[in-house]
Amino acid sequence: MARIGVFLCHCGTNIAGVVRISQVREAVKDIPQVVLVEESKYMCSEMGQGGIREAVEKHKLDRVIISACSPRMHENTFRKTVADAGLNPYMLEIANVREQDSWVHADDKDAATEKAIALTRMAVAKALLNQPLTPKRVGLTKRALVIGGGIAGIQAALDIANTGHQVVLVEREPTIGGRMAQLDKTFPTLDCSSCILTPRMVEANQHPNITLLTYSEVTSVSGFVGNFQVQIRQKARHVDATKCTGCGICWQKCPDTVPSEFDTGLGGKKIISIPFAQAIPNIPVIDMPNCRYVKHLEGQKEGKKLPPCRICEKLCPTGAIDWDQEDQVLTEDFGAIVVATGFKPFDYGRYAEFGAGKYADVIGLLQLERLLSASGPTQGELKRPSDGAHPKTVVFLSCIGSRDERMGKPYCSKVCCMVMAKQAILLKDHDPEIQPYVFYIDVRAGGKDYEEFYQRSQREQGVLWLRGRVSKLYQDGGKIMVMGEDSLMGRPVEIAADLVVMATGMEPNDGAVELAQTLHISYDTNNFMVEAHPKLRPLETNTDGIFLAGTVSGPRDIPETVAQGSGVAAKVAGLFSKDELATDPMVANVDPMRCTGCFLCSEVCPYGAIDKEPARDGRLLAKVNESLCKGCGLCVAGCRGNCINLKGFTSQQVIEEIMALCR
Amino acid sequence: MSLDYEPRIIGFLCNWCAFAGADLAGTTRTTYPSNIRIIRVPCSGRVDPLLVLKAFQQGADAVLIAGCHPGDCHYVQGNYYARRRFALLRQFLDYLGIEKERLRLEWVSASEGRKFSRLVTEMTQEVARLGPRKDTVKRPARQAPVLRPLGQEEAAPALKGGAAAPAKSGGE
Amino acid sequence: MVAVENITQLIQEKARELLSSGQVELVIGYQRASDGVTARPAFVRKAEDAGKLIFDQTCTHNLGKYAIEHRGKSLAIVAKACDTFGINVLIQEKQIVREKTYVIGINCPGVVESSFGETGDRLQYRCQICQEHAPAVFDYIVGDPILEKPLDFDPYAKVKELEALPQEERIAFWEKHFDRCIRCYACRNACPQCYCTECVVEQIDPNWVGAPIQVPEKQIFHVIRAFHLAGRCIGCNECERVCPVGIPLSLLNMKFSLEVEQQFGYKPGRDPEVCAPLATYQPDEDLGIGG
Repeated sequence: MARIGVFLCHCGTNIAGVVRISQVREAVKDIPQVVLVEESKYMCSEMGQGGIREAVEKHKLDRVIISACSPRMHENTFRKTVADAGLNPYMLEIANVREQDSWVHADDKDAATEKAIALTRMAVAKALLNQPLTPKRVGLTKRALVIGGGIAGIQAALDIANTGHQVVLVEREPTIGGRMAQLDKTFPTLDCSSCILTPRMVEANQHPNITLLTYSEVTSVSGFVGNFQVQIRQKARHVDATKCTGCGICWQKCPDTVPSEFDTGLGGKKIISIPFAQAIPNIPVIDMPNCRYVKHLEGQKEGKKLPPCRICEKLCPTGAIDWDQEDQVLTEDFGAIVVATGFKPFDYGRYAEFGAGKYADVIGLLQLERLLSASGPTQGELKRPSDGAHPKTVVFLSCIGSRDERMGKPYCSKVCCMVMAKQAILLKDHDPEIQPYVFYIDVRAGGKDYEEFYQRSQREQGVLWLRGRVSKLYQDGGKIMVMGEDSLMGRPVEIAADLVVMATGMEPNDGAVELAQTLHISYDTNNFMVEAHPKLRPLETNTDGIFLAGTVSGPRDIPETVAQGSGVAAKVAGLFSKDELATDPMVANVDPMRCTGCFLCSEVCPYGAIDKEPARDGRLLAKVNESLCKGCGLCVAGCRGNCINLKGFTSQQVIEEIMALCR
Repeated sequence: MSLDYEPRIIGFLCNWCAFAGADLAGTTRTTYPSNIRIIRVPCSGRVDPLLVLKAFQQGADAVLIAGCHPGDCHYVQGNYYARRRFALLRQFLDYLGIEKERLRLEWVSASEGRKFSRLVTEMTQEVARLGPRKDTVKRPARQAPVLRPLGQEEAAPALKGGAAAPAKSGGE
Repeated sequence: MVAVENITQLIQEKARELLSSGQVELVIGYQRASDGVTARPAFVRKAEDAGKLIFDQTCTHNLGKYAIEHRGKSLAIVAKACDTFGINVLIQEKQIVREKTYVIGINCPGVVESSFGETGDRLQYRCQICQEHAPAVFDYIVGDPILEKPLDFDPYAKVKELEALPQEERIAFWEKHFDRCIRCYACRNACPQCYCTECVVEQIDPNWVGAPIQVPEKQIFHVIRAFHLAGRCIGCNECERVCPVGIPLSLLNMKFSLEVEQQFGYKPGRDPEVCAPLATYQPDEDLGIGG
């Protein structure tokens, strides 16, 4: 006979305001094997938890039912409470009568109460079949993987490395640095972005605990927290990193130029090049499809004669050019993974009314950063893309690809208002005669010193902020005509601009969705990766051991990003402070008396967690490898003979739940 | 809403996506009909078709299985298997007289609270329109035995000890 | 009936050879039943008994079932084309060891409807719709190859006819049939693909079906069995033949076969390299479900 205690939480008025707790109490107290029903205003509070502990001891309960908020909220909390009271933590069931009852059926208290009773009965029915479960202990690899070498990834890598643990930093581009390397100055301090970034880059490169794997990508991940196996593909630069000194002769003498991605297409790069002068590592990459020598070799196969070039190879003093270099695939073990893959700007070409990307003098925020930057395609001289003329009238359009349902981007990208203010101020610094106009919907200046910065742009720098939207841009001679509205004055406005800057919103970088799927973590409808809890667990994902830092989980500014980089380092350090981890004991289990050795379970198992074990008559039967099993239950649902079951979600338990709900 | 009868819908929701989505529907205070009762499972691939049959046998008017979108399964491939299993089962149950609309497989991600709400509302309305089940997989409802307090006489002879004879259990 | 005497002779010779050489310990085949007209399974362990083996158009049984029971031994099994599909499924599911099973495959002319003491010329329905008379796996093949003739009707016609009935009539149809079921499990016992050590419908922990012999329980039993055979049933129809109350089980199993063929383009047992439909998936497939 079980001794079940049922604890009904009021959750203030969240539950009690809709569900009639007294009625639930009446209904539940008569369920067989329930010996105690108690209520609490806030079951998760110290008082509430204390009440549970006391009740377990006093009434010798062997199972605890809590009728409260979602188990996804407080299952771990209450498991600890129950464990503290001396019970196995898996002798607990939680009925979700808040998120899935009182909060969604507030309009019908009778129905909500009836449902709460049904859900509590269901929890009791399941709990009657709960068995004490004991987690296994496994060791962990105290080595961290950081995916993404922008400021978030660099900060995380440095802080983890400083706790004494090894870090591998994988970056897709040939250099670390991320978006900050592309910026001219940062708001509100107007620090030179590269100047504050590059010392961190150097530190990361020189830190004995950090290994940089640039021009590399993560291709597969398996395992679980503390024990991840990751495959990393190091792409071929065709330059031998052990020989290259970064002297730069090769890229100086390379005869061809193609558009530079780093300069957002506004400038060129040589075929063999480093992305920017302070690139780390400063080992160039050969853009093979555009290389003369590669085209010569292809041409040879087709019988065409093209010049062979190979100037870089001839001039390289250390013989570092390696045409035959191949991609390398590494398989490494890690205990924790940090995802910091950053963002890319929205493609403003999607707005047909703004020229669909065809007007050379309509550019995005990142393009203007490159134009303003002293190391950019125009060496910091403000020359507009079409004819190199110095613009005198510059118009900014806010919320391009943000706050726009039509473009599928309902969210605010948080930083663009401040970027516009910054860029407008910088334009004025370049040439006091420039008149910047900013068409805005709202100005969002929520950070420290941000409001003062925005006010400065108006009062001290004379930037004109016009509240209104722009309906159309069109080319007229050498000008871009901006047709907008000044809604505070209540009149249309037309400006003949020399340069138009679109405040492009943030979206997740290319490949984010594929990476999320590789890691088996969630991403939302905007493709940003999902945190375990938006308020209380912003750096963790639902997968233990995988953490998020920076704009990968949503738009944010540099201070937040750096804070998150340090934050994940603390999480990783916490994980690595243990020498053993407890595995989830809710694993599958084969009944060898029933198993017929058909191995359908093995075919459907995503983790290869089914081993073959000989029975007494020599036949091979299935056996679950508890270290690999993640408790998904695909095997259980697939097995025809019901020969395999899942601890914690046994078939018997689910049937009892169904029967309790269908009364 | 007023329904001619109140359908009972059993929902099997996967812990990582659909159950979280249903939680979000609550956190954002959407409303949906209370006919649905949710059972948490680790993955939509955990839902054995036999469990769905059990629900139908026990009298559920409709069953909803909700999991992660294809490609996003926390366990890689559970939802793909769920898709195959229920594509087959749904056709077969329709053949036996349990209408297709009574068995639904839906993809609800952890951020799709509103989608869950709309889905449950629509499903409840649709199942209400279909009316009570007409097939024979459903176990007939049992009538509870009538217990009279000691001492009260009844048409049927009392058993020794004073307990009244139970009424015949109903069956069709 | 089609003359098949030479097949009988070839089988006897082969059985004699396999047993006397010691290559196999047991030959599973057919012999004349006690009524003198129909056939029944035969288990020959000595070369001198090989003479009792026969093959004719009354040999309806699917002998794959016995191969599972005797799996530890090296054995030979006589198998018609459809039976070999079943054997392939059992090999895929590791219930038969291919290396220890010598398959005597028969280019089968089809089997006739028969019952105890009676037989005739009418081919069973499953043979009427058969388009694959050649064994899919064999170590020795007997019988003249059969020329496949295209059907002038839809093999799934009966299923589609039932599908097209209005819901109430379909429900009434099944209720009428399931009402007669006595849960004797003859259908399950005759099926080679039903080899579970403890059938789910007889398990009490958990109690999937329930003990009552009422229509809901009987219906659930048949649905479970049909679902467990989805993509594995090769249409030998022995289940329907052995049913003592004449439930049209082929209409259940063929419904699943139709769905499996339409949705996944799969027919069980034809190619042991192809994965069974419920053991695999395609990420992008559209099965008309899942929104």
